[in-house]
Amino acid sequence: MGKVTGFFDYPRRAFAYRPVGERVNDYKELIIPQSGPEITTQAARCMDCGIPFCQAMGCPVYNLIPEWNDLVYKGNWQEAYERLEMTNNLPEITGRICPAPCETSCTLSINSSPVTIKQIELAIIENAFAQGWVTARPPAAESGRKVAVIGSGPAGISAAQQLRRMGHAVTVFEREDRIGGILRYGIPDFKLEKWVLDRRLEQLIEEGVNFETSVHIGDDLSARYLRRAFDAVLVAMGAGQPRDLTVPGRGLQNIHFAMEYLIQSNKSIAGILGDEKQISAKNRNVLVIGGGDTGSDCVGTARRQGAKKIYQFEIMPKPREWQDSTNPSWPYWPQILRTSSSHEEGCERDWNILTKEFTGTGAGAVEKIRCVRLEWKPSEKGKPPAMVEIPGSEFSLDVDLVLLAMGFLHVTHNRLLDDFKVDYDPRGNIKTSSYGTSVDGVFAAGDADIGASLVVRAIFHGREAAKAIDNYLKNKK
Amino acid sequence: MIGSLNKPNIRRPALVVQCCILHLLRLLYDGTVPHVAAGEETMTRKDLYDPFFEHDSCGVGFVAHVNGTRTHDIVANGITILKNLVHRGAIGGDQKTGDGAGMLTQVPHEFLAAECVKAGFGLPTAGGYGVAMLFLPRAATKRKEAKDIFESAVRDEAGAVLGWRDVPVRPDCLGDMAAASMPFVTQAFVTFEGASGPGLERKLYVARKCIERQAASAGMSMDDLYVASFSGATLNYKGMFVAPQFDAFYPDLLDPKFTSAIALVHQRYSTNTFPSWCLAQPFRYCAHNGEINTLRGNINKMNAREATLSSALFGQDIKKLFPVIAAGGSDSAMFDNVYELLVMGGRSLEHSMMMMIPEAFGPRYHISEDKRAFYEYHAAILEPWDGPASFSFTDGTIVGAALDRNGLRPARYVITRSGLVVLASEIGVLDIPANDVLEKGRLAPGKMILVDTAHNRVVFDNEIKASVSRRKPYRRWLEKNKIELKGLFGVPGPVRIERDTLLTNEKVFGYTLEDLDMIIAPMAENAQEPVGSMGNDEALAVLSERPQVLFNYFKQLFAQVTNPPIDPYRENLVMSLMSFVGRESNLLDESEQHCRQLKLSHPILSNDDLNKLRNMNVGGFRSCVQPILFEPSTRSLNAALDAVAADVEKKVEDGCSLIILSDRGVDETHVPIPSLLAVSAVHQHLVRVGKRQLTGIVIETGEAREVMHFACLMGFGASAINPYLAFEVIADLVERKSLQSDLTLEAAIENYITAVKKGLLKIMSKMGVSTIRSYKGAQIFEAVGLGEELIDRYFPGTPSRIGGIGVSEIVAESNARHSAAFGSNAGPQGLESGGKYRYREFSEKHLLSPVAVALLQKATRENDPAVFAQYSAHVNNVSANLCTLRGLFSFKKAADVPLDDVEPVESIVKRFVTSAMSFGSISKDAHETLAIAMNRLGAASNSGEGGEDEERYVPLANGDSLKSAIKQVASARFGVTSNYLVNSRELQIKMAQGAKPGEGGQLPGNKVDKTIAKVRHSTPGVMLISPPPHHDIYSIEDLAQLIFDLKNANRGARISVKLVAEAGVGTVAAGVAKGRADMVLISGHDGGTGASPLSSIKHAGIPWEIGLAETQQVLVRNRLRGFIRVQCDGQMKTGRDVVIAALLGAEEFGFGTAAVVTLGCIMMRKCHLNTCPVGVATQDPALRKRFTGKPEYVINFMRFVAQEVRQYMAQLGFKTMDEMIGRSDLIEVNGAVSHWKTRGLDFSRVLAPPQLDAGQPLRCVSKQVHDFSNSLDVSIIEQAKVSIEDKKPVSLAMPIRNRNRTVGAMLSAEISKRYGSAGLPANTIKVKFTGAAGQSFGAFLTRGVTLELEGDANDYVGKGLCGGTIIMYPPRDANYRAHNNIVTGNVNLFGATGGEMYVHGMAGERFAVRNSGAVAVVEGLGDHGCEYMTGGTVVVLGKTGVNFAAGMSGGIAYVLDENQLFDTRCNLEMVDLEPVVQEEDKKSLHSLIANHVRYTQSPYASQILDDWSEMLPRFVKVMPIDYRSALERIRKDQSRETEVVPITEEVY
Repeated sequence: MGKVTGFFDYPRRAFAYRPVGERVNDYKELIIPQSGPEITTQAARCMDCGIPFCQAMGCPVYNLIPEWNDLVYKGNWQEAYERLEMTNNLPEITGRICPAPCETSCTLSINSSPVTIKQIELAIIENAFAQGWVTARPPAAESGRKVAVIGSGPAGISAAQQLRRMGHAVTVFEREDRIGGILRYGIPDFKLEKWVLDRRLEQLIEEGVNFETSVHIGDDLSARYLRRAFDAVLVAMGAGQPRDLTVPGRGLQNIHFAMEYLIQSNKSIAGILGDEKQISAKNRNVLVIGGGDTGSDCVGTARRQGAKKIYQFEIMPKPREWQDSTNPSWPYWPQILRTSSSHEEGCERDWNILTKEFTGTGAGAVEKIRCVRLEWKPSEKGKPPAMVEIPGSEFSLDVDLVLLAMGFLHVTHNRLLDDFKVDYDPRGNIKTSSYGTSVDGVFAAGDADIGASLVVRAIFHGREAAKAIDNYLKNKK
Repeated sequence: MIGSLNKPNIRRPALVVQCCILHLLRLLYDGTVPHVAAGEETMTRKDLYDPFFEHDSCGVGFVAHVNGTRTHDIVANGITILKNLVHRGAIGGDQKTGDGAGMLTQVPHEFLAAECVKAGFGLPTAGGYGVAMLFLPRAATKRKEAKDIFESAVRDEAGAVLGWRDVPVRPDCLGDMAAASMPFVTQAFVTFEGASGPGLERKLYVARKCIERQAASAGMSMDDLYVASFSGATLNYKGMFVAPQFDAFYPDLLDPKFTSAIALVHQRYSTNTFPSWCLAQPFRYCAHNGEINTLRGNINKMNAREATLSSALFGQDIKKLFPVIAAGGSDSAMFDNVYELLVMGGRSLEHSMMMMIPEAFGPRYHISEDKRAFYEYHAAILEPWDGPASFSFTDGTIVGAALDRNGLRPARYVITRSGLVVLASEIGVLDIPANDVLEKGRLAPGKMILVDTAHNRVVFDNEIKASVSRRKPYRRWLEKNKIELKGLFGVPGPVRIERDTLLTNEKVFGYTLEDLDMIIAPMAENAQEPVGSMGNDEALAVLSERPQVLFNYFKQLFAQVTNPPIDPYRENLVMSLMSFVGRESNLLDESEQHCRQLKLSHPILSNDDLNKLRNMNVGGFRSCVQPILFEPSTRSLNAALDAVAADVEKKVEDGCSLIILSDRGVDETHVPIPSLLAVSAVHQHLVRVGKRQLTGIVIETGEAREVMHFACLMGFGASAINPYLAFEVIADLVERKSLQSDLTLEAAIENYITAVKKGLLKIMSKMGVSTIRSYKGAQIFEAVGLGEELIDRYFPGTPSRIGGIGVSEIVAESNARHSAAFGSNAGPQGLESGGKYRYREFSEKHLLSPVAVALLQKATRENDPAVFAQYSAHVNNVSANLCTLRGLFSFKKAADVPLDDVEPVESIVKRFVTSAMSFGSISKDAHETLAIAMNRLGAASNSGEGGEDEERYVPLANGDSLKSAIKQVASARFGVTSNYLVNSRELQIKMAQGAKPGEGGQLPGNKVDKTIAKVRHSTPGVMLISPPPHHDIYSIEDLAQLIFDLKNANRGARISVKLVAEAGVGTVAAGVAKGRADMVLISGHDGGTGASPLSSIKHAGIPWEIGLAETQQVLVRNRLRGFIRVQCDGQMKTGRDVVIAALLGAEEFGFGTAAVVTLGCIMMRKCHLNTCPVGVATQDPALRKRFTGKPEYVINFMRFVAQEVRQYMAQLGFKTMDEMIGRSDLIEVNGAVSHWKTRGLDFSRVLAPPQLDAGQPLRCVSKQVHDFSNSLDVSIIEQAKVSIEDKKPVSLAMPIRNRNRTVGAMLSAEISKRYGSAGLPANTIKVKFTGAAGQSFGAFLTRGVTLELEGDANDYVGKGLCGGTIIMYPPRDANYRAHNNIVTGNVNLFGATGGEMYVHGMAGERFAVRNSGAVAVVEGLGDHGCEYMTGGTVVVLGKTGVNFAAGMSGGIAYVLDENQLFDTRCNLEMVDLEPVVQEEDKKSLHSLIANHVRYTQSPYASQILDDWSEMLPRFVKVMPIDYRSALERIRKDQSRETEVVPITEEVY
């Protein structure tokens, strides 16, 4: 364990961010990494709990958090890396962008402040890269089996790496022009610079994972071909179907889905999309509808593009404000008001707002939004509260750009899935049992399987699906 | 209730006249009713009772004429002794059947000659014949058969049966159970042409063995034909009596012609009262008060030795003596068998006794070189029969007595001027005029005394042993022959790390990260076993889906109640890890060659040591290596084991005297045989073929790493162990700088070995075993989850009561580890986490998962039944969370009743208690919250063992009470005062704790703050130690005595005894019931703890499901269940748990962990570090602020559980809980649970319905009867009424004798009730007694009472003294010098917290143990004085025994050190010796001695004062080091927060 009384002796010191005034001028990473000794001190706060709620309830990939905390405290960074790597294929990514449910589950969140698990994770992996400990680990022997992975997001990458290490020939198919899925084009650079991803992909390539980009499965490659050419197929193409807002005026120009906006922005930063084609927030009044992480990313991007004014509306009530470093719902994820780095950069947030209609200019572009304020009435036990419009609370707002960030419904029901004839669950996700779909030899993992969720959960899914596929291949004659 | 309702009740003949009864009984037994013993036998296979676990203890003694004069008086005196020891015996469930009493005398020739004439035949002259005392069947035909066997066997041995004499008996005095099993008692008279003396005895011995063997081959058990004695010198009368029935039953004994110069007597207290006349004592040579803990190993070794036995005295007859140990005997009977062999083989009585129970002869004893050599030489020949023992023995000419090395049983003697010697467990058993007394004394630990009636002298220990030790040149023999390898056990050399194989080997042997950083690293750093807390909620090995090492299926047995654990820390001078390894020679001979063996000072071999052994070939001592690897397939493991066994046998035949079993060489195709399996298989094979004693077994294994592993390997037959992989791991840890930076590899390995050695001593000690020689192969383990076939084949004799896995599962587990190690590249590169000691998702399952903790807290805080339902569904979900045996159970369908008809929650919760948690282990806040909650419910919380602040006895303004209804009385007796005892509804004697049964504990100084110190009567900042044993409970009769003491101290409270489940716990519970406890608590192995060694948390004790079922079965069978309530605890979490416990027989239920979880505990398992981050298990004020628990949470939990219980009751058709208790027939094994390892489990013995007679209860239906008829307090209270009520002084005087026990406790209770701990003004009540006081004189004596005793006292004087004064001196008309004689017994002032005691004369062993405040002056004392003392002052005006001041952390002692050798007898670990120079010391010492003179008129003390200036410099002051610094600190009022206190185990 860390230092016996470390949790008591040292205060929590989390990541610092670059100053707002500086960071809004570029797309570079916000985080300022802390010094090695500070990380060691922070690791000393870990109590090596009899039940590490961080590992067992918090972390979706079940990182062996107390173990590597202890090793960092003792200065044994290489072993810390080895134990981190045992559960997580992409710690340099989760170390940057994970909302860190481990920290809200940390035992110190009961009545103190949690261990800075996320920054320790990042420090371990960045140090490992710096020291050259992160090397390719190609399989000891080839199994002679071939696996296709559809989608190169976190689930796909993790599964591909695990499957490859088990000795299978793995090909990852990606619709976009570059590998990475949501990591590549969904998350802005200021949260995840893309060299981080490229660095990891090099390892996969060296281990022998085969990547094919700009392949539209179902169009460029048929389901039938995939079934014939590969011993197993893993569908890891995310939950691409955004929730839409069906109100009058939805068809007006300058109303976009958030992901559409973010992908274009990311491509632009990567230098592969001309500015002229880009949806830009520059000098516009921007409204982001939806109060989640994607919405927040839109806010940060819009700020950097030079938006005049940014609003973010949420239909649900404002969560309880909670300044304390403890978790009121410990060990569960608390429903509290979260202020992201993007919010800090300037944005007007409001809650309990229902969009009634968009109205446009003569040119067909959006000009105004008409809304009404809501009240949520508690209903009988076990049922969600009921939404009631407050009479007379209607108002309207001038907007030039509307970004819909209201979450995702399910996996995109595309031709591939139609051809595979996979069953869906009631919510429209691919129905699975231990990662196997209703079709023999076809597996699903990540958001495609369970609906939109965290990157870290997708990693876990990828790893587990790899195990399931390996078992399947072992038993398949 | 089930099955036996129609059985005729034949056991009530009490009102019929005697001859009719006999007739009637005979008819019944000749007729249709089966013999009880036969019935018992069939029953034993069906349930959990096993006679192997019966224990007995007792009163024992002898009386003899030194001059050999045979008188009837001696016989009469023997009977009187028995009658005066009656309270040390016990009676059975019929309230009348005694456990046994008997007397061994010289053959009363005159009497027998006259009787035989009456019977129609004459006897030769005295000494020319042998007389057999026989127990035969009452059924005539069967008896005829037995007689025929007897006569033909005697004839075959060329003897002649002169005639038979039926011994007259009067069965009307017997209890029902005794009468039902009464044998036909008869005597046979036998001659062998010309034989007399030893020659005759040997003939009789051979003849008896032939009779026994023939009877056995004719299918007769010991109950059908038993030879109680068969000798020309001694005759044995015994049976199932309590003492007063003895002479009534045998009229022979009243005949004045029945004369003897020796009477050796025994009153038995057995845990069971299953009828067994044969097991009453004495046996043919010995009477034993105690218990042999190493029996299994002793039997195995003796059996193996038979092959090499030879003796010129027996010639060819030697084969007729086998088996030497007769089956069916008790431990004492078996001891007698071997003792008899040694004596018959030509060794003297005393020589044989010295071999079987050697005294301690370690380096800390100043004993003669020859004696030391004698013991060492014999260590190579015979292992000790280890356990607490007071033996009396006789061959008809010499009578003697001996104590074991620990001296845990009392033996007091008186020698009179008229030549009488009386020795007994108590003083005062015969009335002897004071002026006739020549000497009064007690046997010291390991000492012996003989009365030689032929030479008319009493021989004392020194002379006996000097003469025996010099019979042969043992010292020279030893010097010349013993092999001590040069450099063996030198500094360990470097260890090579095999980088290529380290990780794979670790994986093959199942190492996890936890093994490295929680087990091996702490051992290497701290040289002691790692400590953990919060108990064990992990899945049992047999229920775990992850591969387990074979060790995990075994559980350590431990001593509770019937024999005390030894203290491996403070009394380790009696313990030894030394052993001889190699080829043993003929037991019945002695020669130089006998000690030509390898001497190992301890059993852990470094790699260098092993290499030396490997290459050894000195003077015929040769070693051979035997690989123990197999190829991974099931068939080959059995075959591989057979091959290994055969190979080893061959090597032994070829002259190999040391076998090294080795699992080096693991590779892709070779899997190691589990080391324990290999060792036991080889050991058992060699025992079977009679070759075990020809070789030593050493194991070189990568598997052994934690203490439990070493203990198992030794316990199943290994002589030494080389844990090469553990060493390699340490080397790797050092290289990776994972250990403390300044630790060298050599030091790390030495530390590790030291930790293993300490751990071994600890495990031995909790079994009450002192030497590794007798621990080896003693198999003191039980298995949980191993199948019958596996056990029978490889671990025979090991209890395994629920079946389980076989060889194929072991192979599967081995293969799983092996293939993980040699498997693909994709898996994790590092070691697995483990998850045993700290939860890890995807590792070992735990009952309290993170989800369970979260839900439980949410449910109880928000008072949300729906969340609680989720919680209990989660915990009970067997398919997902199979952790416990009860997880495999389900309920049978029954006719349900409406929920509304079921008794309400309010009454059910009254059966709930919170388990004992001391204030000290948990915070004041948590402790008081539990008390408030349970008091509000009308349930009970338990104080734990840390005492209780008196402020809490006053109710709060809002009506809440902080008082714990249950007060615990544990081994350290912290704060146990009269007032503490009075303020309780229940007094609980904690014999053991689930997390560390058989162990004591320590509360580190940093947890002892001012409040805790106040409550525990100690000094802030000074470490507090709980000894492993209660020093007033060394046996079951001692427990009965403490129960009696506590009942006196609070007649309104019920008395309970806390036991931990293990094989045999049922028999202990029966003993507890017979000791008149009102309730017995059976704790599971998995209970929580503030701190325990991890190996104890994991590996000692068994699940309560088995222990509770056994308890219920044994209590019901003994007809004791109706008198005692049963409580159960151990990881109780839900209503389902409660219902299962109820159905298995519990009436009440305890919750520990679950209750503290509701208060915020999150299973940090950091209690021992004082860093509990939620303020539950810490004393740190800053952390305590974080406590957020509320009584409501606990109340909600209890009510939720009760509500669940109600739902189950409705479903099972019970309206009241009473109906449900013991209905194990409603439990079935859930066939739906499928698990690859549970297939072989068989719960039929656990769920076996009890055999009931009509009306026999399954639950407690009546109260225990406590007999206060001999209590003097009743009359004192009456006479001192004015004092008690009006504080008016009263002086009383009365006689006293040893049957008047526990004087003063009841009186003190009356005072405490009125005045609290303040008591009365000094000397308000003065009582002067004359005579011999019974045990516990002045127990819990409070302020204002002075007891003065002219005479002697027995054990436990001033136990728990809390303010009163005790004055003792010998009779004024005594002629002996008082200060050289023993006036008072053992364990005086145990747990005293205040008051004064003055003893003119000497006291026995363990004076003022755990004294925390009393002042005492005594004129000499035995071993272990002032042990564990934390306060008070003791003045010793004379000699002390050894080990004075061991563990003494407070208080002061002054010792008069006449010859300046006191420092050699004092344990200097924690104290300094200083001269008495400071003025205040001088003054205090002088005034104490002056008091002493004033009270006792001791001329000796008076002399000291007269020569004060001369004497003062001869005094030394014994000053505890910690105490001194604490006093200084207090003086300076400094805080000690900066001080670093080593992490160590603590009291819970």
